[in-house]
Parts: sequence; C-alpha cells; structure tokens
Amino acid sequence: MKKLLAVVAFLFSSAFVMAQDADALVGVWEPGHGKARVKIDNIDGKYYGRIVWLKEPNDPNTGKPKTDVNNPDESMKNVPLRGYRMLKDFTYKGKGVWEDGTIYDPESGNTYSSVITMKDENTLDIRGFVGVKTFGRSDTWRKLKIN
Amino acid sequence: MKLKIVCMSMALFLAGLVPLMAQDDDDDDWDIYGDLELVDDSNVKRYARPTIVGLSPTRFFSLSYDRQLAYTMNLSAARFPASGNSGWAVDEDAPVSESGRVNFTGGVRFNSNIPVISKSNLVWQSGLNYMRVGYNISDINSQSDASGLTQTLDERGLNNLNWTNTFFVPISEQNFFIIQAGLDMSGDYSWGLQPFNTVRWSLAAVYAKRVSESKRWGLGLARTYRVGNLNYVPVVMYDVTSANRKWGTEILFPARAHGRYNFSKNSLLLFGYELEGQSYRINDFSVGNNSYEIRRGELRPRLEFQKQVSGPFWMHVQAGYRMDWTFNADELEGSREFFRGFFGTQQFGMVNNLSNAVYFNIGISFVTL
Repeated sequence: MKKLLAVVAFLFSSAFVMAQDADALVGVWEPGHGKARVKIDNIDGKYYGRIVWLKEPNDPNTGKPKTDVNNPDESMKNVPLRGYRMLKDFTYKGKGVWEDGTIYDPESGNTYSSVITMKDENTLDIRGFVGVKTFGRSDTWRKLKIN
Repeated sequence: MKLKIVCMSMALFLAGLVPLMAQDDDDDDWDIYGDLELVDDSNVKRYARPTIVGLSPTRFFSLSYDRQLAYTMNLSAARFPASGNSGWAVDEDAPVSESGRVNFTGGVRFNSNIPVISKSNLVWQSGLNYMRVGYNISDINSQSDASGLTQTLDERGLNNLNWTNTFFVPISEQNFFIIQAGLDMSGDYSWGLQPFNTVRWSLAAVYAKRVSESKRWGLGLARTYRVGNLNYVPVVMYDVTSANRKWGTEILFPARAHGRYNFSKNSLLLFGYELEGQSYRINDFSVGNNSYEIRRGELRPRLEFQKQVSGPFWMHVQAGYRMDWTFNADELEGSREFFRGFFGTQQFGMVNNLSNAVYFNIGISFVTL
C-alpha cells in the first residue's frame, strides 16, 4: 500500500512538474525585430499566442489600426492585427520544447509549421519551417516583465 | 470559528478569481503591454530580415528542363595561342571552318539551396547544382582545317557541376551584406569528371539596405563567369514591391533583371533577362596540362510564369530568346585562368558564332512560402 501511494505521489508530482515546465512559455514575449509583442497563454493544455502590442499600431497610409491585409483569406483582411492569434496549437513535449504548432507571419500572410525551444527562462528560439525543420528560419524572442 | 472558515473560503475564492479577471482586463487594455520592459535587456540587437514582401518564392529544390529551338552553329578552326601565340585576335572575324544545324540544345537542370544556418543574425544557404547542355547537330559542313567540335558536342554535350554558398549577414535593423561564393566544374566530361585544376570560382559581395518591408537596394562587386569569360563587374541590387503588392522588381544587375506582376499570392509573372554562362573544358582539345575551354555566354530575354501547384510546390514555365553573347574558345596554359575582361587583347583559340534561337524552360520547385 505504501509503495502504491509512493508511485501515485510520484506520478502526481511528475505531472505537476511537467505542467510547471510547460507553463514556462506563458507570458509576454518580444520577437527579434522588436516591432510587436505576443502574449502566450495555456488554453486547455495547448499554447496560443496573440499579438498584444505593435510598435506601429496604425497603418501609415490610412491612419487607422493595422489589419491583417496580407492574409490570403479575403474574409480575414479586415481583422485587426492587435489581438490576432499568430501562434496556435503548441503542445509541450518536455525538455523545454513545444511542437505541433503553427506561426503566422503577418508581413507575408504565410503560415508555417513551428517549434519553440526555450533557451533559458527569458529566451525562446522560435523556428518556422516548411515541411521539415531544415527548411526554415529561427528567431529569438525575449520575455517581458509583467509588473 | 465558522466565520473564520467562511472568510478564508471567500478569500481563497476571490484570490482564485483575480488572475482570471486580470487576464480579461489585460485583453481590453492593450496599452499596458507597451510599458513592459525586457526581463534581460542586455545583448539585444535587431537585425534586418533577408527578404521583402512580394518577391517570387525562394527555391529550396528545383528540377527543370531547358530546350532551345533549332539554330545554326558556325565555328572557326581551332588554334592554340598559349603554346604558339597564333590564335585569333579579339576583333577578328575568323573564317568559318565548320558549320551545322543544331536541332536540339538543352537538358535537365537541378538546383538546390539548403539552409545550413537560418537565424535572425545569420543565414547560410548551401546548394549543389547540375546543368546539362546536350546537343543534336546535323547537316555538318566541314573544311579541311575543321576542329571537329560539332561532333564532340553532338556526342558528349556539356555539363556543369556547381556548389554555391550564400551568406546573408545583417549588421543592423536595415543594413546587411550578401556574400555568395561558387565553385564550378564545366566541360564535356562524363562520370570520370575532369582535372580539379579546371574548377573555376566565382564570388560576389553586396552591401545592401532594407529600406522598408517593400524595398531594398544594394551595391557590390562580383568575380563572375556569367558570360563565359572571367570578368569583374559591379553589382546593383534593387528589389521593390508596390503598395498594392501587384507590381515589383527583382534586379541583381548585370546577372538578371526582372519586372514582376503578382496575379495573386499563388501566381506571378516575371519579365526581363538573365545572363547565363560558364567556361567549358573540351577534353580532346586540351593538350598536356593545358585546358581548352569554350566560353559559353548567353543573354536570355524572357517571360516566366510561376504558379503554386500545392503547398510548397510551385511550377514555372519560361519562354524567351537565347542570344549568343560568346561561344569563343581559349586555351589556358597549365589550366590557369586569365583575365581578358572587356578590353584585354589576349587571342582566342576559336572564334565562333551561333544564330539566336527561341528557348523554353519548364520546371517544378519546392519553395519557401
């Protein structure tokens, strides 16, 4: 009985530690270009990131808030960029790696497969790729302090 | 006691609600995110992106088939200026010793461009490439001093193996360098290849500025075999996309210059030209350690239609006019390259002419979107 309790306790504690590690991704992050900030949340065990800040929030041509004008889907072109969910469906695979997600590039309107690797608690390596990881590009994201 | 428990329960319940409410508040008040600071703001450096919007997709792999329609080939007798300094002068119209009708010119082309490193502060892409230029020549008319090059081309054709490495090195949010180095083995070889001292190298370095997400320009210098002979030329890069993303340019002068019309995100048309060429060793004419090389250079004004087939697979259809820039030959003493440039007076080993011809190229590529 004691052994069973010990195993159950170990499993629970492992799951707790895993969830803690996985949620290290939760927070507000700044991509390498510094023109946007993205808030990553855990929603039902998967991780999603929304654009919450833009260095240039308004379109210089119209003076109105930027929308997703480059989206190939016509119905999305009027959706505001601020609040746009650009990271989707990441699941934690352990050892600081989140996979099976996608990243959307508002500048080109393209969506790429993506993998996130935590380099340290304040730095992410986010790789977008086509097909296999080799055919992609990595960017470094940095964590922002939440007061 | 009961009151204490109720109070504590209420407190815990409210404490649990606070983060949820805070999350909702965060969502409504976007401005708070502008005030946040980096946890660690040391060593933060921003870099220019390697591309601008609207450009034709970068090809990771490409397989294509190139074919020229029929034309006439006129060749002079072959001379060996390196050994006897008795070749054809650069401004000389040598008499035709051999001519033929070229029914077929072309073959398969494979190109690759694999990212080795692809980070915001460095992109290194490496690619192996192969190009076949096979010939079918008939109606050969030979004088007594003909070299027999038509028969050699007809039987063996020309091959090019190339290894190119491209480096994109950003130094700031707007400025970057592009450095491209290539090695080429070109000749009428088969599986046995040819001596490695006939490998020729090319190099280009461009300093560029990404002015905005839709414009970049650059200036540089290149050591190139684009038109057959070794040459040193200035390079001008100018890529721009219009505000509505329909029109644009893709210019890397003098190698290529295209206007671009984007029908949609999935199809586009390029119109302009490309220079194509290499220095091809002809084995039978290469005496001792010397290398006898055809300086094949072509100017190709053309139209190219590109369309997405499925996902990252795109196809292209290209049609244009192949204009003969040079098909002359040089004998390289000890297989060592020399520089003639635009104004050199070194004699040619052969002075040849090809009539111009329509060509087409069709292919499929695996691209980055």
